[in-house]
Formats: sequence, C-alpha cells, structure tokens
Amino acid sequence: MFAASTLAFVVLFVIGWLALFATDLNYVLADAYRRMPVGPEDGNPLWLALRGLASAARVLGEREILAALWLSLWTSSLSVIIGLLMAIPIGYAMSRYRFLTHPLAEAIIDLPIILPPVIVGLSLLVFFQSPVGKWIENSLVQFVFQRKGIVLCQLMVSASLGIRAAALTFDGIDPRLEHVAMTLGCTRAGAFFRVALPMAVRGLVVAGILIWTRAFGLFGPLMVFVGAVRFRTEVLPTTIYLEQSVGRLEVALTVALFMVLLAAVGLVIVRTIGLRVQK
Amino acid sequence: MIRVENLCLSVGTFALRRVCLDVGPGEYFVLLGPTGSGKTLLLECLCGLYRLDSGRVAIAGRDVTAAESRHRQIGFLPQDYALFPHLTVRENIAFGLRRAGADRRQLRQQVEQLMVELGVAHLADRRPRGLSGGEKQRVALARALAVRPQVLLLDEPVSALDESTRDDICRLLRQLNRQTGTTVLHVCHNFGEMMLVADRAAVMANGRIIQVGTPSEILRRPASLTVAQFVQPGNLLPAAKWLAAIGQRKVDSPRAATSCNADASSHGQAAGHDVVMPDAVLRAGDRTHQTCCPAQASATRKTHSGQHTWVMIRCENIRVLTAAPESPPPGVTILPGRLVEITDLGATVRLRTVVDSGLELLAAPGKREYSSDNYFLDQNVFLEIAHKDVHLVAEDGHSPL
Repeated sequence: MFAASTLAFVVLFVIGWLALFATDLNYVLADAYRRMPVGPEDGNPLWLALRGLASAARVLGEREILAALWLSLWTSSLSVIIGLLMAIPIGYAMSRYRFLTHPLAEAIIDLPIILPPVIVGLSLLVFFQSPVGKWIENSLVQFVFQRKGIVLCQLMVSASLGIRAAALTFDGIDPRLEHVAMTLGCTRAGAFFRVALPMAVRGLVVAGILIWTRAFGLFGPLMVFVGAVRFRTEVLPTTIYLEQSVGRLEVALTVALFMVLLAAVGLVIVRTIGLRVQK
Repeated sequence: MIRVENLCLSVGTFALRRVCLDVGPGEYFVLLGPTGSGKTLLLECLCGLYRLDSGRVAIAGRDVTAAESRHRQIGFLPQDYALFPHLTVRENIAFGLRRAGADRRQLRQQVEQLMVELGVAHLADRRPRGLSGGEKQRVALARALAVRPQVLLLDEPVSALDESTRDDICRLLRQLNRQTGTTVLHVCHNFGEMMLVADRAAVMANGRIIQVGTPSEILRRPASLTVAQFVQPGNLLPAAKWLAAIGQRKVDSPRAATSCNADASSHGQAAGHDVVMPDAVLRAGDRTHQTCCPAQASATRKTHSGQHTWVMIRCENIRVLTAAPESPPPGVTILPGRLVEITDLGATVRLRTVVDSGLELLAAPGKREYSSDNYFLDQNVFLEIAHKDVHLVAEDGHSPL
C-alpha cells in the first residue's frame, strides 16, 4: 500500500510534465496542420505527424535559428571542455583533502546551483564595470555583449554542477588504490593519472553532460550579460524568448520542444552511465 | 630490517604514542590488536602515507622517515586488496614493474612467472570484479611481490576469506617468506592466523605496543591484563577470588627477578609471572618498564608493587576428571566442582564448571577426551590444574578491552 502510494506520486508528477509537453506538441502540430495544404491523406494520424515533423524541420532550418543552434552547440561544448578542466582538479581536491576553509569553499562552489542564474549575469556585468574588469576588457579579452561572454556566463553557472559530480565520483574511489600505486612506484600525481582518473572516466562523462545540458539551456544571465543580438549573441533559449515576443509562438514552441528532446537525451545518458558507475 | 623509534602520530582524536618496533631481516612478524588499536595506522606510517609528528622509521638500515612511499622498497597489501578495477589481472601485476621501467620482454616473463607461482595464470585477462576473495588475494600478493620489495606489509590479508582459503593463503605467505627471504609485517586480530605464520608477534592497544614475543609467549604468558583480555584465555579472574578457591589468603609481592620479554617495545609494559601454588608462594604485582628506544634506554626498569593482580588459566589447560585421583601428581591442584554447561564447538567442547567456592571456571578438553569421559549436566567433577599453567598478570594503565 505504501509502495503504491509513493509510486502514485511518481506517476502524477511524470504525467503532469508529459501533459505540459503534449500541449506544446499539440499546438505545434495544429499550427502545421493549419499552414500545410490539405492532402488526400488528411485525417490520418501518421500523415499529421509527418506534417508536424516537416514543419519542425522548416522552423529549425531557418537561418537565424540555425545560427542560434550552432552558437548554442559550440559555446556549451567549449564550456564542457573548460568546465571539466576546472572540475577535475577542484573536485579531486575537495574529495581528498580537508582544509580549514573546506566548508566555506564547498558552500561557494555550490552557490551557483542554488542561486537564480540571472544573479550571475548581473554580477558579471557589474564586475566588468569595475577597474579590474575594465582592465581585463581593455587589455586581455572582451566579454560583455560578446560571444566569449556566453562561454563565461555558461561556465560560471554550470561549472558547479561539474565540480559537484567530479567530487562525488572521486569520493567513490578508495584512496587506498592510489596509496598502493604509490608503493608500486608512482608519484602522487602519477597515482592520480594512472589510477584515479581512469577510474573516474564514467563519472566525469556524467559531469560533462551535466555541464553541457545546463549551459545549453541557459537564458537569464545571457540576456543580462551578452544581450540577444541576432546572428551574434543569440542562442536557442534566447530564440524562444525573441520568437514568442514577436508572436511566433509555434516557432518558439518548436525550438523549446527540440531543447526538451536534447535535455531528455542528455539526462537519460546521465542516468544510464550513473547507474553503471554505482554498480 | 624494520626499525621504528618513538613514532608519534595524531590523527583526529586517535594517536600512536611512542611506538617502537624492531623486526629482523627475513622475519615473519605479526602485529596483533583489537579493532581501533592503531595497527593499520602504524602500517600506513611505514608505507609513508602520513607525515609523522615525531620519531624515526628505518627500513634495511636506511632512514626513510621523510621518504616517499615509492622510495621505501616496500610491498603493501591493504585489507580489501585494492586491486585496480580498470586493469586486468596481468596489468595489475605488471603495474609496479612498468613504473620501474622494466623492458617489455622481461616484464612479460616476470609477470607470467609470478602468475604461475601464485596460481592465477588462468585469470590473466580477467578484471578483478569477477574474482573470488582468494583469487583477489593471490593477485594482490603477486602485484606486491612483482617489485621485489625488501619488506612486505600486509594489512589483515586474510580476514575476509573463509577458513580453508585463509589457511591456504597463510601457508602460501609463510612459504613465500621462507623462499624469498622477504621480511613480512602482517597485521591481524586472529590468534590462529598468528600461530600459522608468525616468528614473532606484537600486541597493540590504544596506539601503543604493549607486548612483543613469540606467538606462544603472547598466548600463554601475556604481559599485562590488556593482553590477557585480548588473547581470550577463557579464565581470567581476580587473584583474590582464585586464592579463595584454592584456600590461600596472601599474594606475595613483588618478586625480585621478573620475566619480561627482552625485546619488549613499549615503555609501559606490565610483566606477567608464573605462580607456584597452592601451598607455596604466590607472586605477583611487578610492573616493569622496558624499552628498545634510546630515549628510555637509561630508564629500563621501574618496579611498582601492590597493584591489582589477576590470574589467567587457559581453558584448554584445565583437565576435567569425573573421579577424584587417588594421589594427585606433584605440581597440580585438584578442585572439586559441578558441571553447569556443555557446549560442543566441533573440534573441542566447552565445559562451564562451578567449583565449591562458587568460582566459575571454563575448560575446553579435546573431543576424544570429552566422549570417553561421558560428561553430563550437574555432574560432580574434579578440575586438574597444573601450577605451570596458572599465570599472574598485573593491571596496566590501559583501559579494559
């Protein structure tokens, strides 16, 4: 009885979300049905689905949306690479070493997971108005309203997820394995690269996917920090906002469903790999 | 081969306190102690996994106190074997040889030879995940031996194995120790394991070594109450109760010559003494401080008397007779009593008896003796205890286990 009650909650939650996505899908299909010429197979559900797919392909094939998709893809992929380069050493240090300010460091690392992302964008904007920020902008790299700013924003928000996943992965690896490697001739760094890192690969793949999905779906801080300039700083989440604000709801919904699909694929991969790591 | 002098290390609330240890070349040395006594921590100190608060560690005459693990020429086998799960058995064994820069042909030969010697050749391409405990143990041993260490440090190497596999692995370890001459330091908390392999052993409690000796000495002549409690003799009782049971009233103390271990490594060692009884003198109460540490060399012996004394009689040394002997042999005490509990333990039988003074004594005769004597509950019996098997121990500064 208890198990059935808990499962009922799971079913209700999942059905709620599925109903939401189904409404979106219905809207897109209805729009496609309205726009396409009526054919002999009218009324056939398969034909209707094909019409919907054709409509979605048309929307996703538009130049500005393709540009936003491409920008979203490469910026979030670059964020994954840089994020993992940060997450691996930080996650390892947080897992293996205890220091005086460890709880404080942990809290700061976890903050971006809890905070509304728009705060990150706002903080970055203010930081780059400061003397240090201006010096960076003028002498090193320009971020504000630039594509590099998209990567910076994505990193600031999503790296924490990667660090947390990496730290949990290294927590699951017995330090004794590295100790044994050290008695067998490895330095501490050697033990890390030859034992801990190869063992952590699956967990780090999960960390990478988490960073990617978070970065890919980022919107609020990007609007504040880099704006929404077509063919320049427009990413897919910004496209949804822009399209719905000009009344093209069917386009916004098509892009949204496409993002839901990508996120779902990512999460399924995370779950599958994550479960294998646990075994 | 291994020399530890005044090793001190604090980890959280636990501390290793002035540990001294001397293990000879080629010796098989067992470190015994209850859980939480600091055995594994000491072993990890020898591995170089901790920076010591103070003290010195030397291996093969070389001071390695500040040396990294890889420069200590040790093989370490942790409790859970710590096989690398992402590598095959062959790759696991070859791991240390690769780091040592062995050329490919030599490496392959050595690995194959080790796998054959330890009986794991058929597992070469398997990963550790699917191996049994005994197989994992052999692979881990092969991996540790591959780098030809001068010292092999084993942390409870057989504690997770079933009894028959445990005996096999213990025999294998002893055989390897004799064949290769490798010095072995083996941590465990099982007396059977110690008796199977050890040349000498030490007992640890609360971060200190409290007795060093041969396995037989530790089991039969514990130097303090803590050790006596740990070795589970079956009968450990306050001397006053024992004296009441045998009709003696006085414990004479101290004895001039004490019989402590010559190489005892703790500065807080309490010495145990044999007792002559019942009509002769019962001696006890000495407390001897002896150490191998230079810091305490000048103060090797201090004697205190009058502390609480306990009597230890191993249960297997008590004979249970169903009829009173007509003329008891010299050096033996006969105590009449009653059988209150019989427990069949397979190889032996545990007989709980209450002697006439109300004292409860445990005897463990062999199975043959038990069946021939045909014991039954509430039977009147006579306990035959040889004087040489009664051992006195003094309370030490350590808390009871």
